[in-house]
Amino acid sequence: MNGFSAVYRRELLSLWVTPLAWVLLTVFLLLQGAIFYSIITHFTSMADVSVDTGPLQAYFGQESIFLLMTLLLVCPALSMRVFAEERRSGTIEALLTAPVTPTGVVLGKYFATLTTYAAIWAPTLLYVVILRKTGTVDWGVVGSSYLGLLGIGAAYLGIGTLMSAMTQSQLIALLLTVFVEFGLFILGVGEYIFDPGILRDICAHVSMMSQMEDFSKGILDLRRIVFDTSLAGVGLFLTVRVVDSWRWG
Amino acid sequence: MIEVSELTKDYGTVVAVKGLSFTVGKGEIVGFLGPNGAGKSTTLRVLAGFLGATSGRVCIAGHDIAAQPLAARRSLGYMPESAPLYPEMRVEEYLTFRARLKEVPRAKRVSAVGSSMERAGVRHMAGTVIQHLSKGYRQRVALADALVANPPLLILDEPTAGLDPNQIREVRALIKALGDDRTILLSTHILSEVEATCERALVIDRGILVAEGTIDALRNQKRAAGYQLGVRDAKRAAESVIQAISGVISATALAPDDTTERRTLQVSLAADADAERVLEAVVEALAAAHIGLHALIPEKASLEQIFSELTRHEASPTAESSEAGT
Repeated sequence: MNGFSAVYRRELLSLWVTPLAWVLLTVFLLLQGAIFYSIITHFTSMADVSVDTGPLQAYFGQESIFLLMTLLLVCPALSMRVFAEERRSGTIEALLTAPVTPTGVVLGKYFATLTTYAAIWAPTLLYVVILRKTGTVDWGVVGSSYLGLLGIGAAYLGIGTLMSAMTQSQLIALLLTVFVEFGLFILGVGEYIFDPGILRDICAHVSMMSQMEDFSKGILDLRRIVFDTSLAGVGLFLTVRVVDSWRWG
Repeated sequence: MIEVSELTKDYGTVVAVKGLSFTVGKGEIVGFLGPNGAGKSTTLRVLAGFLGATSGRVCIAGHDIAAQPLAARRSLGYMPESAPLYPEMRVEEYLTFRARLKEVPRAKRVSAVGSSMERAGVRHMAGTVIQHLSKGYRQRVALADALVANPPLLILDEPTAGLDPNQIREVRALIKALGDDRTILLSTHILSEVEATCERALVIDRGILVAEGTIDALRNQKRAAGYQLGVRDAKRAAESVIQAISGVISATALAPDDTTERRTLQVSLAADADAERVLEAVVEALAAAHIGLHALIPEKASLEQIFSELTRHEASPTAESSEAGT
């Protein structure tokens, strides 16, 4: 783990002193604002609001397809440069000749992107505050919803970190990540296509939309968390192996 | 400080370094010399721990780089070729990051960064974003980075590449100053650099160590050298007398149109000639021909000549021998 905290801090600084994080933050908040606004408008225009679904459940749950679409853009863009840029510019040589371990470097970079991801989500807490003004908010649901989002981000960024280590081009890292994550997303849609059976169960299990639907109802399904963390874990484990393999290139 | 034995590194089918063995002692400044593509950077990258050796053993400050990679890397400061830096960071920010990465204790970090900037001459640039620095200053920031944890060993890959003559002079002076209290191994393909800064040189060509020793020893090892002779020679016979001696390639007057008695001759020796024995024969022959000798200036081969001779490839030795035959 040598080098973790130094790499983590530098990576965070680097993300926020360059335009990347700010551009992503702006685009992300505009999209989320639009989604949230349309959901609120929808709910205010409805005469009979059902008891067990409110705007929060809609935002994080039933309508989570919109929110996930934005993540398919934001997460790959956050992770695309972590290794690709270091290798393209040659700074990786200075980094790996310091007394650091590949694990320390990979985790430092990964957690910096995950922290940035969380920071990008943070302003959406305002939506909850706004809803709080007009009615009651179930904080348990808010907590589990954000936990679900953190899990999805952790998985997506783990995949993105691996893809970034596979190429020296940020663009190719971005495309590969989008490709894999979109593939996972489409697999999740299979839940609504296949007949009941093993195939449908698998699709339901990997579906990020079902995950958000569960979590937005306050259902903390441990299997979902295990799935997210194993995706991230496999991605990071492979990244460490890839970083190690550069020494033999 | 550095012990390399039988180091081999191949990239798939291409063998970059073949069975390289050398040592660098404590306190030495050693030049790692070779033409482009000789395997210099590959070797230094292996020493710095960036690349793994295919076979062979490397010890840095007593630590085997395969068994104790972190301990080995802690004892060296490495400056990669072309000095890659993060363009978005400020100089001081970058060096603080590097100090943290190299485990400089928190309490000492500010002073370590300060003194490394001082030594590399970038203190007045502390707040500048690296993107806006000139090539020369980037090179110095990379040097400051190598120095920041105050390692006993510095490995510098082409530290003066891409600098203007003034900057080269400054960097060389800096390297010499740094060499007072630490070991330095620097690579270069420029000979004058080795002559200016190093005590000893390792010459590598196509992955093989072709020569090793102090600058003087290298000069002596293969001297295609000669003499300048000042002679009193009214009959103008000195050239033919000297040329008749075996081991002499040529003897020519430096000012052939000069009609005075005193003349200066340039004598070149064959590369394999025994310089001392030839000189004795020359003096004897001149005495026998009643030609007076009043000056003898031995000429050492320049390091350039030695370098090109050591790293000359197969095609060339035939050219050399045909030249010697004429």
